[in-house]
Order: sequence, then C-alpha cells, then structure tokens
Amino acid sequence: MNADQLAALAPIITITGAAIAVMLAIAIRRNFLLASGVAAGGILLSMLALGLAWPQSPAQVTLLMLLDDYALFTMALLLVTGLAVLGFCYDYFKDREGENEELILLLLTALLGATVLVASSHFAAFFLGLETLSISLFALAGYPINRARPLEAAIKYLILSGVSSAFLLMGMALIYAQSGELGFSGIGHFIANQPVMNTVVLGGVILIVAGLGFKLSLVPFHLWTPDVYEGAPAPITAFIATVSKGAVFILLLRFFISTDSYGYNPLLSVFSVIAMLSILGGNVLALLQTNVKRMLAYSSIAHMGYLLVAFIAGGSIAPGLVIEAVTFYIVAYFITTTGAFGVVSVLSTPQTEAGDIGFYRGLFWRRPLLAGTFTLMLLSLAGIPVTAGFIGKFYIFTSGADGRLWGLLAAVIAGSGLGLYYYIKIVVVMSMNEEATVRKAEESSGARISSATLAVLSLLLIWFGLFPDHLVSIIQSVSNTVR
Amino acid sequence: MLGLLGWVPLIPLMGFLILVMAGDQLSRLIISWVGAGSVAVSALLATLIGFEFLDGDMQPYRHIVGSWMTIDDLSVPFGFYLDALSMTMLFVVTGVGFLIHVYSAGFMEDDPGYARFFAYMNLFVSAMLVLVLADNLVLLYLGWEGVGLGSYLLIGFWYDEPNNGYAARKAFVMTRIGDTAMALGLFLLFTQLHTLDIQSLLSLASSQWAPGAVLPVASAALLLGGAVGKSAQLPLQTWLPDAMAGPTPVSALIHAATMVTAGVYLIARTHPLFLLAPTVQLAVAVIGALTLLVAGCSALVQTDIKRILAYSTISQIGYMFLALGVGAWSAAIFHLLTHAFFKALLFLAAGSVISCFHHEHNIFKMGGLRKAMPLTFWSFMIGSAALAALPLTSGYYSKHEILLAAFDASPVLWAVGLLGALITGIYSFRLIFVVFFGAQSQTVEKKPGWLMSVPLLLLAGLALFGGMLQIPLNSVFPVLIDQGNDHTFNLVSVITVASPIIGLLIAVLFYLTGTFSAQRLSDGGLAGTLRQFFLSGWGMDALYETLLVRPFITLSTMNKNDVVDGLYVGVAWLVRGLHRMASATQTGRVRWYGASMVFGAVFIIAIGLLS
Repeated sequence: MNADQLAALAPIITITGAAIAVMLAIAIRRNFLLASGVAAGGILLSMLALGLAWPQSPAQVTLLMLLDDYALFTMALLLVTGLAVLGFCYDYFKDREGENEELILLLLTALLGATVLVASSHFAAFFLGLETLSISLFALAGYPINRARPLEAAIKYLILSGVSSAFLLMGMALIYAQSGELGFSGIGHFIANQPVMNTVVLGGVILIVAGLGFKLSLVPFHLWTPDVYEGAPAPITAFIATVSKGAVFILLLRFFISTDSYGYNPLLSVFSVIAMLSILGGNVLALLQTNVKRMLAYSSIAHMGYLLVAFIAGGSIAPGLVIEAVTFYIVAYFITTTGAFGVVSVLSTPQTEAGDIGFYRGLFWRRPLLAGTFTLMLLSLAGIPVTAGFIGKFYIFTSGADGRLWGLLAAVIAGSGLGLYYYIKIVVVMSMNEEATVRKAEESSGARISSATLAVLSLLLIWFGLFPDHLVSIIQSVSNTVR
Repeated sequence: MLGLLGWVPLIPLMGFLILVMAGDQLSRLIISWVGAGSVAVSALLATLIGFEFLDGDMQPYRHIVGSWMTIDDLSVPFGFYLDALSMTMLFVVTGVGFLIHVYSAGFMEDDPGYARFFAYMNLFVSAMLVLVLADNLVLLYLGWEGVGLGSYLLIGFWYDEPNNGYAARKAFVMTRIGDTAMALGLFLLFTQLHTLDIQSLLSLASSQWAPGAVLPVASAALLLGGAVGKSAQLPLQTWLPDAMAGPTPVSALIHAATMVTAGVYLIARTHPLFLLAPTVQLAVAVIGALTLLVAGCSALVQTDIKRILAYSTISQIGYMFLALGVGAWSAAIFHLLTHAFFKALLFLAAGSVISCFHHEHNIFKMGGLRKAMPLTFWSFMIGSAALAALPLTSGYYSKHEILLAAFDASPVLWAVGLLGALITGIYSFRLIFVVFFGAQSQTVEKKPGWLMSVPLLLLAGLALFGGMLQIPLNSVFPVLIDQGNDHTFNLVSVITVASPIIGLLIAVLFYLTGTFSAQRLSDGGLAGTLRQFFLSGWGMDALYETLLVRPFITLSTMNKNDVVDGLYVGVAWLVRGLHRMASATQTGRVRWYGASMVFGAVFIIAIGLLS
C-alpha cells in the first residue's frame, strides 16, 4: 500500500479514527456533548478527507475497495446524512437517562460500515462493510435497553439479519464455487466468458438479491420493517431508513454494473416481480396505518420498489441514465426521510415516542414550523412538484418509460395514487383544530440543533426541487466513472 | 389614443377587482364612484379613441396587448381589433353602460349588496368589451362566456329568493346550449383553417371554401347556434323572460342593450362565413321572422311590465336577425344601436315605475301615473314610440331600413315583419295606456332622484335622435346589390310606415277609449285559449319541461348513486380489503418473519430458474 492509496482511503480511515477518538473520550470523561462533538468533528474531518481522496480517484485499493468518483460522492452523501442524524440523536438522547455516549460510537461504526460498503469491489469488503453496519444497527436499535419496544426491535432485526446474511454468504459461496472469483470485476469476466447461462451463478446472485432484499426491505423480505422502524428510537430509524438502505442499494447497483449481471434476463424478471410486489404491497400496507413510524416504514418499502424500477430499466437503457436516476432519487429520498424522522424525533419526549397519529393532531396550531416541515417532507415523499421528490419520481418515470417497463410504471402510478391518500391524511390530521388539543405553543427551544437541521433539509428539498440542474450535473459527472 | 384601446376593457376589470377585494370596507359613495367611474373612464377613452378613429378614415386598427397562449400552431394573443363595427359596439357598451351605471347608483341605493352589484356590473362591462373588441375567436369566446357569467350572477343577484336562482340557472343552461354549438364551431374552424384570428380566418374561408359547401355551412350553422342562444331567439328564447328576475338596471344593460345583441354582433362580425352558406343565412332570416312574431304575440298578453319589455326585446332582436338574414348587415347593426337606446330607456323608466310601487310588476295594478311621474311618462312615450318605430324616432329609421331590405329579399319575410310591427305598435301603447292613463290607483311615494332622472333624460334624447348617430359601416360590410329600388314614396314604403300606426290606433281603441274590451275578447273560448298560449310563451317552457327536464330528472334520480362513482368506491373498497389482508401478514412473530424470508427466497429462485 502506497501513499496514494492511503490518501484514497483517508475518509474511511478518518471515520475509524473518529470512532476510536470517541471511545477514548468516553474513557477519559463521560460526557454526551463531548462525545457528540468529537463525532461531529470526525465526520467533518472525514468530509475534508474526501478532498484528499478526490485527486486519487479512481483508485483500486488492494483487491477489496474501489474508490472512484461515484464512491466518493456517495460517501459524502452518507457522511452528511450521518451528521444530520447525529444532530437529531444529540437532541433526542441528551436528556434521557442512562449512559448514552456509546450510542455515538455505534453511530460512527455504522457509518464506517456504510462507507466501506459503497466503495467495495470485492465480496470480502462487501460482507465486512455490511456486517459492520448491521451489527452497529442492532445495538443502536435496542439502545434504550430497559424499554420493551426498542429491545424487541433489536432482537428481531438481529435474528432476521442473521438469516439474510446466511443467504448472502450462500450466494457468494455458489458464485465462488463456479468462478473461483470474489472480486466483482473477476466475476464479471467469468460471466462474460460463459457461453450459456450458468444456473448455479444465477442461483447465487438470486440468493445475494434475497439477502440484500432484506436490508432494503423489499417484498417478500419486508416483514421486519414496520416493527423495527416503530421500535427503534426515531433518529436511529432515520439512520436505518437512509444510510443503511442507501448504501446497500448503491452496492447492489455497483455490483450489477461491474459484474454486468444485467445480461441475465431471469434476474430482471425476479427484480420486476419484487418491484411490483414492493410498490403495491408497501402502499397497500401503509394505507390505513395509524402509526406514523409504521406508515413511513411501509412507504419506504414502496420507495425501494420505485427505485428498483429505474434499476431494472438498466436492462435496456444506458447505465449512465440509470445511475443518474437512482442517485438523484436516493439523494431526494435521503433528504426527505431524514427530515420526516427528524420531525418525529423532535416531537418525541423521553416518555413517549411520537408514533401514534393522535400525536400529530392539530400540530399546525401548536408547532406551525414543525408541521410545515413535516408537510413538506410528506409532499416530497408523495412526489408533488416543487420538491426534490417530484424530480426523483420524474426520473423513475423517465427511465421506466425509456426501458418500456409499462407494467411497472402502471404499478408506480397506482402506488403514487395510494401514497397520496396516506401522506395527505397526515397533513389533514395536522391541520385539524380541536378545542381539546389547542394548547399553548409548546416549548420548542429544546431541540435547536434538530430544528436547524430540519430547516437546512427543507431548504435543500425545495432547492433541488426547483433547481435540480446543479445536482444533476454533479451526479452525471460522477456516474460516468462507474463501470 | 388608439394605443390605449387595451385599457378600455381593463379599467372596468380593475373596478371589479377593487370592489371584490375591498367592497366591504368602502363607503357607498366610493363604491358608486368606483363602479360607475370605471365605466365612465372607459367611455371617455372610447370617445377619444372614436374621434381619432373617425379622423383616420376608419382604418381598421389592431392592438396586441400580449400573448395569452401559444401551443404548437395555435397562438392566441390578447389582441383587440377596431373597425367601424366594433367602434359602434364600443359606443353602445360604454355609453349606454355608463348611463345605466349612474342610474343604478340611485336605483340600488338601499340594497345591502351595493358593492357586489357594481362588482358584477363592472365584470360584465369588461367582458362585453372584450367580446366586441376581440381580434380572435378565442378571446371573443372568453368575453362571450364572461358576459354569460355576469348575466348569471346578476339575474340571481337577489339570491335569497329561490326563484331568482332558478331563473339564473335557466339562463345559464339555455345559453350554454348555444355556447356549446359555438365552441364546436370554433373547433371546426380551427381544424380546417388553422387559425382563429377573425380577419385572416374570414379571408381564408372566402378563398378556400366554395359557397354552399359543407364546411362553411356547418361552421356558420354552429356559430348561429351560439348566436341564437345568446340572443334569445327561437328555439332557445325561453330564458330571457325569466331573466327579468334580476334588478331592473341589469335587465336594461344586459338583457336589452348589450349582451343579448352579442349574437347579432357575432353574425355580423363573421358575415363572410354566412355569405358562403346561403342556406344558413336564410335560416337566420327565418329564425328572426318567426321569433319576432312569436315573441310579439306573447308581449301582447303579458301583465308583468318587465316581461312585456323582455318579449319585446326578443322580438326586436328577431328584427335584427331578419336583417342579417337578408344581408342588410348595417341595418341590423343600426337597429342594434337604436334598440340599445330606446330599450334601455324603457327598462330604466320601468325601473322608476317599479321602485315607486314597492316592486309591483303587474301593469293592471298601476294606472294614471301620467301626472304623478311626468318624466317617466315622457320617457316611456319616447321609448315606446321608438320601439313601435313611429316616424321621426330613431327606431323608425332602423326598422324601416330592415323592412325595406326584407321586401327586396322576400315579400313573405316583409309581410311577417310588417305584422310584427303592427303587433309592436299594439303592445307598446297598451303598456303606456294601462300604466299611465286611467285612474291613479296608488299614490306615488318616492320619486326618482337626479341619479335616475339624468340618465333617463339623456337616453330619451338618444332614443329620439340616435338615428343620426349611425356610423357608416360600408368599410365593414358589402353594400347591398339592389340599391336601385327607391322605396321612398312607393306603396311598400307607405304600408311599412303605416303598420305601427295602425297598431297604435288599435291600442287606443282597446285600452284608452275602451271601445273594445280585451277582457271580453279573451273570455271567448278560442281567444281565451290563445291568450293563455301566448301568455305562457307559446308553451315552450312546458314543452322543454316534458321533453328534456323531466326525462333528465328521472334519469338522474335513477342514477342517484352515480354508477361511475361505484368504480371509485369499488377501488377504495378493494384497496381497503387488500390492506386488511396484507396487514394480517404482519403478525409480529419472528418465526413467521423468518419463515417468510425462506419462502420468499424459494419463490424468487423459482422465478429466476423458470423464466
């Protein structure tokens, strides 16, 4: 390993360093603010380190990692989101009983796993990154250890995640047995040189899809989602919904493009069925949901289905457009979902998690800014113009139409229609004004960092919705490097 | 000055906006100043523009304010077009409109909806100006619908009386039937000629279409449909008598002077199209002739002062249609102009009578008002004389011109017009004799103030001498070919002049001297039935009620729970069902979750291997 490669790895090394620094800081002086501050500094440093890695891109660091422009861009996205979640975590946990400092540490290790994941070009890095991320998430989801719901969520996630890892490993083993390769490009060469389709490799890839499908909570691997979303503390749910899913999806995309698995038509059939089921299933499940966190969980199933539509279109359209569509959608989805769960976490008190819809009744009259932010996030999830979500949805439609996926597009349309129902329902509930709920404006100064973060997210949401060109051109320039 | 053309419709629109947004905060004085003032400014601008226009030898002037919409090869600007025809209409709308606004300031002074009234009136005037100035059919249609909206709002102005709301809806629906035909005509013209700019459309039509071909006949017929609806001609005339439910100034402005003549304007504006479709033009004449007779007969027997005037309006517009149908374009517009003066005068005078009698409309409960209300009486006299086309009044010149042109086209049409003129003479003076002569039945409590008197005076002057105001329309219309016939002193001319006078004499015998009794006449079996028939407007309402309204209501009662709604209810029901089924899978049990993952993996492997 030479200096250039070290420079290319600098962001990941910095995050690792930050985790160690937080650990030491806790050992020296147990202080939540200190730990959070160190972590925030670490994330910021890591972002600076991206600048160090940029000139080296694309850099193949050992067999395991490929740090190209796209990997660095997605790392930046993960780091920014991680920072936002850290902000929510600080406000959420600062007044809670128990020793919450290790939570920050876990957040950093989870972030480390995610950054490794998006840069991996080898099954080993892929699996290591995924497990680093997942194991941190188990602990994070169950962090309030003396409460039943988070604990239940953590245990469920742990067990089922284990099942999915088993699928993943089995899939990798099957592929390795046939090709003798663990690196993505090696597998790609093997597949390209096969005269006929190799059934065992196909089975292996499908098992990997099953494993990743669990992480992405795609139907039929979705059942855990609402329970974990509901049970985990709101900021952690935000992290699971964004960083974890986004990193896994980006990995899936990179895996498919670099191994050229699009050549396997049966895979596209598998994805089409999954996408169709996820879009319809997610939306139907969300329809009459009265718990906001569960509703967002089901809606995330549908959103992953939408993403898959653009992904599947890669079978017949240029990978450039697919990456552009998927990446824009992920950015929009990150902003929106972080914002939505941010609102939930701001509303949650140490006594109650703001899950039930009754919590939101008349919110416009009590916390107008917060309700406005939430409305904005919901509208973006529904894909209403002026928000980034609209542009994202538009990308899905464009790539789906280019790829002539009419059946899936019909499902997207039906799903969007259903989505409007349950998103707008929350807005309606928030604008209800009942005498009993009219309380004097609640104390809102307790969550300054969260409020500032939400404000930034709202601005970004509108900004990318009105002027997407800038972001699009960045995405285009970084997505050219993926191969 | 010509460059200010765009402001003419804009200023009343601004008045409307001010009154709508701030009407509640403004005092009555300011409301009346905004309401009437905006029309006054418009009228002033129109006058200045008119002087410049007449100075410039009436060269057509086009003024594009901006683009409205541009889609593919359709481009619709906010473009205004001024020629002698639109100039005439401009004078009528702003001039008569202004006088009626001033009158309204007095007439409506005790009404709680003062600001609302003037807001609607200004909206109407603005839309009417857009209609007459539009240089393309889409903008014209905007104005066309705008005046329809204004009319609807003002007929139902006193909305707490359910009948008024019914009358407003009736007017809206009936005219909408015509509007639909007109919209279809616009679509047809655009698909065939690829433009909706009126002038280029007409020249394209003349150069591309052969006279009597299917396309010009179809498009002219569709436009005629619109004109018939708006101008209350057979068979869509039934809404106008009910439209009298609105305040009287509204009847004067919308349902006499301006909006109802929009159909005449439309046909005149697109006359080259009608020249290409001789059958449709003949239909225009026949519709006009029939309408003037039918409505005249109904006017003979009405007892409601405003309904008499309403039927007479229908009848007079019938004359205009007759003129259009025989190609006497400028005579039609001339009659439109004079009719605007004398009919507005009659309505405003009727309004004075009504407001003095606690909103009493039945003429047989009035009587002997001659002494008590001299100004109103003389206004009525002048208006009725002009309506009956007695010599030396404005109505004489225009109607005489029409009848002579009708004679040149067909003696039958002339004879019908003549009979109509006779009837007009009878009912106009029946009204006067019943209301103003005889014994005074009630004391007059309130005399019209100067706000109401001055417009009456000015309109009386116009009704008398308005015949001299005719703007030469030769630049717009083709000159009638057989100008050679000089009717000045021949028999036709004499009979034409004589017929309304005979009508007047009959009215004298029946209603002034009492030599004959209308009561006794109508007691007889046949005459009584006929009277009932005329009174009900030839049974058209009952006919439509049986043919259309009842079947429609029956149908909609049958479909009370909309069949189409069922689809959406079904979708909602289905999705809820699916939701319940899907929710049942969320058991919360890890063993089921784990098993489902295994099943899922088997499922997708099966898909992958089998496809």
